[in-house]
Amino acid sequence: MAAPTDASQPRLAAGCRWGPSTKAGTEEVRTILFPEGAIKLQGTGKLVLEHCDGQRTFGEIIAELQKEFGKTDPEKIRADISLFLEQLQKKRIVDY
Amino acid sequence: MAQSPSNPLALIAEVTHRCPLHCVYCSNPMQLAESKSELSTDEWTSVFEQSGKLGMLHAHFTGGEPLARPDLTELIAAARAAGLYTNLITSGIGLNEQRLKALVDAGLDHIQISFQDSREDAANWIAGAKAHAHKIDLSRAIRSHKIAFTVNLVVHRQNLDHLEEMIAFIEQLHPERVEIAHTQYYGWALANRAALMPTRAQLDNAIAIIAAAETRLAGKMRIDSVVPDYYAKYPKSCMGGWGQRLMLVNPSGRVLPCHAAEVLPGLSFENVRDKTLDWIWQESDSFRRFRGEAWMHEPCRTCDRRTEDFGGCRCQAFLLAGDATVTDPTCSLAPTHHLVELAVREANKTSAFHQPTTSSSFVQLQKANSDLWQYRTNPE
Repeated sequence: MAAPTDASQPRLAAGCRWGPSTKAGTEEVRTILFPEGAIKLQGTGKLVLEHCDGQRTFGEIIAELQKEFGKTDPEKIRADISLFLEQLQKKRIVDY
Repeated sequence: MAQSPSNPLALIAEVTHRCPLHCVYCSNPMQLAESKSELSTDEWTSVFEQSGKLGMLHAHFTGGEPLARPDLTELIAAARAAGLYTNLITSGIGLNEQRLKALVDAGLDHIQISFQDSREDAANWIAGAKAHAHKIDLSRAIRSHKIAFTVNLVVHRQNLDHLEEMIAFIEQLHPERVEIAHTQYYGWALANRAALMPTRAQLDNAIAIIAAAETRLAGKMRIDSVVPDYYAKYPKSCMGGWGQRLMLVNPSGRVLPCHAAEVLPGLSFENVRDKTLDWIWQESDSFRRFRGEAWMHEPCRTCDRRTEDFGGCRCQAFLLAGDATVTDPTCSLAPTHHLVELAVREANKTSAFHQPTTSSSFVQLQKANSDLWQYRTNPE
C-alpha cells in the first residue's frame, strides 16, 4: 500500500472505533479503540480522523482542512496528513 | 510500600477452562478450574460493569475455549454495554455462521483465531483434535463481517522449520493482523518444554523470515511478534508490570495479575464474589505484592532497566528458580541465568523434529506421543 490518493475515502478500519472521551483542560480528548490498543487524540489528529468517515475523499478532506488552517502552507498540510494516514493504515487502524 | 496505581487498562476474562482442544503448548495452569465453580452470567455482567467504571478499555475473552459457555453472546453484549472493546480469543470450535452473526450483533469488535500449523496433520497433532479444516471455513465466514480479524500462530520447535509456508497460508485467510507468538513456558507448555523449545538456528531463521514478511505485507497484514525470552538478553516486561495494567478474572472468579499467578506460593487471590474489582486493584495484598520496586533484590534494584521490564516475570522466577522475588532467570544479568542457559544448551544439542502422528482417537494420540509430551486435558 502507498499513501492515499485524492480519490481515496479514508475511514476507520474494521474493528476500530471511537471510544470514551475525556477532557484535557477545556479541550476534548477522544479515544480510538482498536485490537490490542487505544490512541488518545486531540487537536489536529482528532480533527483529521473525525473527517475520515468513509464518505469524504482524501481530496475533500485536505481542502476542508486547508481552509481550517488557512495560515499554514497548504502543501505542508497535505504532506503531514498523508503521512499521518499512511502510518495509521500500516497499523491497520485506518483503511482507504 | 507500593505506589498508588493508575487505573487498569484491560480485563482478561477467562470465562471457562473447558476446551475441545488439547494443545501441548497451552499456558493454562495444570490445575484447571472446575466447571461447576464457574461464574454465572450475572456475576460476569457485574465484572464487566465494574471494569468499565474503573476505566478499563478492553475486555479480552479467553479460556479455555470461551465458546464452551452457552451464554457467550450475552457476555459479549454485557461487556460492550459496559463500554468495553470486546475481543474474543478462540479456537473457533463451537462457532458456526449463525452464532458468529449473533456475536457480531451483540457487539463483538475483534476475533482472534488460533492456528496450530498450515499443514492439517501437523495442526491436528499439536491440538490433539481435528480442528484445522473447521478453522479455515470459519475464517471465510469471519471476513463477511465488519470486525477485526487476527490470526494467532504459536510457533515452536515442531513447526518453525516451515514458518514461511505458514505465513503464506495465513495470508490466504485475509486477517488484518497476525500474531506470531513463540511458546511461553507456563502450565502445560513448561511440562512440554523439551519438545517445544526451538534451536538457535530455527529462531534466527524465523527472525529473518518475519522481517521479510513485514516488508512484503506492509499495509496489508500487520505482523506482531516477539523474540522468545529464553533467547533474549533481557526479560519480557510481563503484563506491563505486576498490577500496573491488567486484571485477569479466572473462571471461578479469582482475580489475578497474570495468567500464571496462582502457581505462586504464599499468595492468596481475592474473588469477585467477595470483593469489588476496585478494592482488589487498590488494596489487595496480591496486587500490591510485586507492584513498583520495593520488593526487588539486586541486580534489579539498581538496574537501569527496572522501570522497563520490572525484573521480568514473577511466575517464571518461581517456576525456574523456586523464588518469585528473584530476577527472572531469562535475564542475562540474573544470578540464576544458568538455568535458562542449560535449557537452551539442551535444546541445541539435537535438531530433533518429530513426524506428526495421525490417529482416529485422542486416547490413541495421547498414547502414541506419551514420550514426547502430554496433551492438555480438561477440568472436572
